[in-house]
This record gives sequence, structure tokens and C-alpha cells, in this order.
Amino acid sequence: MAIDMNVFRGFAEQIKMLPQMARPTDCPDNERVKHAKAIFSTKIDASNATQLESCVHCGLCAEACQFYIQTEDPELTPIHKLDLLKRYYRREKAPLRWLHRLIEPDITEADLEATQHLVYESCTECGRCGLVCPMGIDIAAMVHVTREGLAHAGLIPAGLRAVEQEQGSRGTVFGVGPDQLRQAADELRAKGHEVPIDKDKADVLVLTSTIDVLLFKDALEATVKVMNHLGLDWTIHSCAFEGANFGLLSGYSEVQKSASERITSQAIALGARMVIVPECGHAYPALRWAGANAHGAPLPFEVMALSEFLGREVMAGRLQLNPIGADKHVTYHDPCKIGRHGGVFDEPRAVLQALGVDMREMPSNRTANFCCGGGAGLFVMEKAEPMRNAAFDLKRQQVEATGAGSVVTACGSCRINLMAGADRTHWGTRIESLVELVGDNLK
Amino acid sequence: MSFAEIVDGPFWYFSATVFVIGVLWRLVGMLNMGSKTDFSTPRSSGSAAALSINITRFFPRADFWSRIRLQVVAGYLFHVGLFALLFFAAPHIEFYREYVTGFGWVALPEWAFILVSEIAFLGLMLLILHRMLNPVTRAISDRGDYIGSILIFLVMLTGCLALARSHEVLRVTHFFLAELLLVYFPFSALIHTFTFPFSRGFMGAHYGRRGVKV
Ligand code: SF4
Ligand code: SF4
Repeated sequence: MAIDMNVFRGFAEQIKMLPQMARPTDCPDNERVKHAKAIFSTKIDASNATQLESCVHCGLCAEACQFYIQTEDPELTPIHKLDLLKRYYRREKAPLRWLHRLIEPDITEADLEATQHLVYESCTECGRCGLVCPMGIDIAAMVHVTREGLAHAGLIPAGLRAVEQEQGSRGTVFGVGPDQLRQAADELRAKGHEVPIDKDKADVLVLTSTIDVLLFKDALEATVKVMNHLGLDWTIHSCAFEGANFGLLSGYSEVQKSASERITSQAIALGARMVIVPECGHAYPALRWAGANAHGAPLPFEVMALSEFLGREVMAGRLQLNPIGADKHVTYHDPCKIGRHGGVFDEPRAVLQALGVDMREMPSNRTANFCCGGGAGLFVMEKAEPMRNAAFDLKRQQVEATGAGSVVTACGSCRINLMAGADRTHWGTRIESLVELVGDNLK
Repeated sequence: MSFAEIVDGPFWYFSATVFVIGVLWRLVGMLNMGSKTDFSTPRSSGSAAALSINITRFFPRADFWSRIRLQVVAGYLFHVGLFALLFFAAPHIEFYREYVTGFGWVALPEWAFILVSEIAFLGLMLLILHRMLNPVTRAISDRGDYIGSILIFLVMLTGCLALARSHEVLRVTHFFLAELLLVYFPFSALIHTFTFPFSRGFMGAHYGRRGVKV
């Protein structure tokens, strides 16, 4: 099912309106530093400490970051994005803090504000810089700690804040609640699909995301088709259908925890053995890796990204697909949060192989894949547009180097960012969803 | 007490003590911060990945090679050269035997020493030049980076001169600078000599649990 570009452009316009919808934060100006410091204090552990102490200022990390590569702006050197955290660490936590206090000034509110651009609008927490660092410094993880500090200081960029506030207060994203979900389900039922919602017990809880309900309805439809095709005992639940977690993206841990616990408790109530996360990059680490920590105990069910699930079913021979044919030349874009941060590389490729397409890898692929530029919430940040565009231009070169006519991915935000870039640059390459290809070619 | 006697006596003990206590203080302080239990179900072993990244990270990924080769080659020239000089130069082995270990081992022949010194100098010079000229390294470097590099340069230079001319003043100057470096070491980014296995290990374990080889 082709995406209606008018609907897509309308959605992009709505995103631009987000900053006006953000409410002021309840963090008083003179308490921002205190709040940020309190978070840094609890979040910095031995891992952060050894990494913050190990940097030799070699600058290699810049050579891995799509934003530096595209702009050549030294301000965007990954390790520079940690200056605020490093300064806090040196003065308040480091073993030599007494010495650093003599020579380094304390962090100020102006420092917090200056860091906003570096850790929100210029970093997708993609983790690529960590691959090149000779010291093994995980900059993405510490950019996240910095975001957490800024979030608690009330300094989340307005667009992201609007969505985080909505998810935190109403539990919805872009106004999509149970009614809109049921409406989407009714549309699918009208097409002849069975869509189980709110069953009391189910083996598999399938999550979706606002983007799929509003925009990528093909992905939702294809997911429903696959579940029914496999004959699973599954359900979507109107109290816990949203996979996106804007608490994680913004760094506001309270919202992150409540969004993930909402799913966890519903899955437990259903007796689910598996929760399937939709094509939404960050939704996967939010539940698969951070969910158990929000819950305070191992999750009593398996969490799978949709692309991972499809690949496993294909590999196990349970999901059989009609080959599309090798005259369809595709390349696969690994969403950072599912690939580099999630370990899902082979499964989507197994699906593409089963589809019999001519799969061509980009020059940097799998673990070393470049981010689409819209990750970690950049796709809802107005001021991040130059960065998103810069990253898209690099991605476009990578895709074009393969000669593929189609780029397939398994993340709605990647898809939005790639489509926005394609629309801006009048790029003819198709941007497709993995599950949509599967749904269209079930045997 | 002459300057040479101070350098050979009390200042040596002082600098060695500052070095040992300083390094331990910093390492223990960092590691003592602990880490929270991760309740997520791992895809594979974090500890195995922590060990493996400590080896694999010596070899840069092909994906980055064309953009980083100068720094990597210079880094290796310097580090390998310095390592060989520190542990296999005949006067150093003699020093360790006498003051630290009580035993010695096979030393580099003189021609190899000269070659290794030149390699180390070349690497260090390239690294310093790169630090000063490349806009990224220029922006992220601090005073400490330059102090460390210059001190090491001077220690290496006086070491080579002392060996070549066997002159007492040069020997004492070399010792003195080396001792200054020992004192400076725990307070500087040179600490990476000891922290890198940990920083690599933590990162390797984090991604290893997720089934990603980084
Ligand atoms: S690559 Fe690593 S060691 Fe080098 S500057 Fe970046 S963070 Fe520091
Ligand atoms: S995590 Fe990605 S975007 Fe952020 S600094 Fe590193 S490479 Fe750049």
C-alpha cells in the first residue's frame, strides 16, 4: 500500500506545530543546576567514570559521527558533547575532585542551556562513535545521561517536550488513544482482517505505535496479516498498545518508566509469553533492554522487535513467503536502536533473502551503519532540521552506492526521516517497510 | 646533597610513591562507584565480550580506516616504540633489575634501540602536530594534553642523548624529567594507560549482552 504523500506532508506539518503545544516546565530557573546535578550524581557509575577518565582527546570519534562528517564542525565532535557531564564528574565525583575544584569552574544554567543543542539536536545516540574510540568510550550512553540531567532541569527542546508531556499526562502520543486504535482496527476489519483487541488472555501481546495508526497503516495491516497467518493466540490491548517511549527519548525517566511499566503489567495480566514491538526503533530498547530495569526484575516474557520476530519465524520455517524476484534491488537500513543497540542484524536479512530480492549492502552496514539522522527524537525537534538533512544526504549517498532502487527499513522514525529527505530532494528511491513486504507476500 | 643525589635518592622515592598511590587512588575511586544490576535478559555473555573487546579494539574497523589512518599509524608508532624503549632498552632493564624487580631480561641491541627511538619520536611528533593542526583535536585538547606530550618528548630526547653520549648531566636530567613525568602521570590523561581495559571492558560488556560485537 503506497503512502499518501499528502497525509505524510500533513503529518510533517503537525510535527512542526509541536513546540507551540509544549507547556512550560515546572522546574524553576534557579533550580535547574541542582536538578541536573542530582540526576548526574545518581547516574554516574563505574562504567561512566572509567570512560570519562579514559579519553585521550584523539578526535577519532568525530570521524564516525554522521553530523561531523557532513558538517566538519568541530563543535559536533562526539566527546565534546560530554563536556558538561565531564565537568560535573570532575568536580563532584572524580577521585581527584579536590584538585579539579581548584581549577575548573562549576556548571551554570548557561552551560546547561548551551548543552541542549549538543545532546538533543546534534546527537541521535546512534552509538557509531563508540565503535571507533580506541578507549572504548560509549559516548551515546553518556549523551543519554546528559539528556536525563537536562530533562530533569526542564530543558527538553519544546517539540520533544510536547510529546513527552502528552505521553506522561494522558498516556497518548500525537493524540492517539484507544478510540483511534479501535477506529484503525475497524478499518482493517472492513478489509476482512480479524483484529483481536483487549482479549483477557493471550500468548502474544502485539504493540503498535501512533505512527503506524496514523501514517504507516500498511505496517499495521501487514502485522495483523502476519499474526493471523501464523495462527497465533494474539491480541492488541487498548490500554497498552503504544510502543513509542518519549520518556526514553527525552531523558525524562519518570515518563519512561510509566510508559514501559504500562506494557509490562498488561503483558503480565494477559499471561503473555511474548511481546512484539512494532517497527519503531527506540521502542525496542525501551522495553527489551530498559524495561526490566524499570520493572526492577527480569521480565517474565520475551520481547522481540517485529523484524526480529519475522526473521526468526522465517528461519524456523514457520513463515513462508512468496519470492518477489531478484529484479527487485533493495538495500537494508539497520535502525540504530534495533541493530547497533539491539543486536538484530541477521533476522531482517533472512526475511529479505526469503523474499528472493537482490539484496545489496551499503558501504557501511550492520554494526557500522549510519543513522538516518532522525533517531532519539530528532524527528520531532524543529531545530534539528539541518542535522537531519545533513544525515539524510549521507544516507542517500550510501544507498546510491548500492544501485538499489529501494531502501527497506524496520523503523517508523527512520522511514519518516528518509521520506522527508526524499521529498525534500526529489529522490526517486522507494522507502519501504520490512513488514509491509512480508504482509504483501505471504505464501 | 647534590641535585644528582636528590634525583637518584629522595625524589625518585617520592615520585615512585606519588605514581603508585596516585594511580591506585584514581583507579579504585572510579571502580568504587559500582554499577546497578541489569535485569534485562542478555542475548550473550557480557564478560566474554568485555575480554574480547580488549583485544579487538587494538585493530580499527575497516569502515573507518580511510578517515583515521594517520592518527592510528602515528599512535601505533609512538606507543609500540615507547613500550619497546621502556621495557627493552638496556639501561631501563638495568634500572628495573636494580630498583624494582631484582631480575633482568634480554635487551634490545643498540641498532634496534636507535631504530625504535626514531619510530617513537616520529609517532609522537606526528601526534603532536596533528593535535595542533587538526581542527577537531585542536578544539578538544586541553593544556594537560600538551604538557603530557611535551614531557614525554623531553624524557625521550634526554634518554637518547644520555645513552649516546654517556654524559652524567644528561643522565641526571633524563632521570629528573622521568620522575616529573611519574608525578604528573596520575593527575593527567596519561592514566588511560591503566583505565583503557576497564573502559573497553564496560563498553564491550554492555553491547555484548545485546549480542553486538563493537
Ligand atoms: S575517540 Fe575516544 S579517546 Fe578519542 S577523543 Fe573521542 S572519546 Fe576521546
Ligand atoms: S552517538 Fe551518533 S550522533 Fe551521537 S555523537 Fe556518536 S556518532 Fe554522533
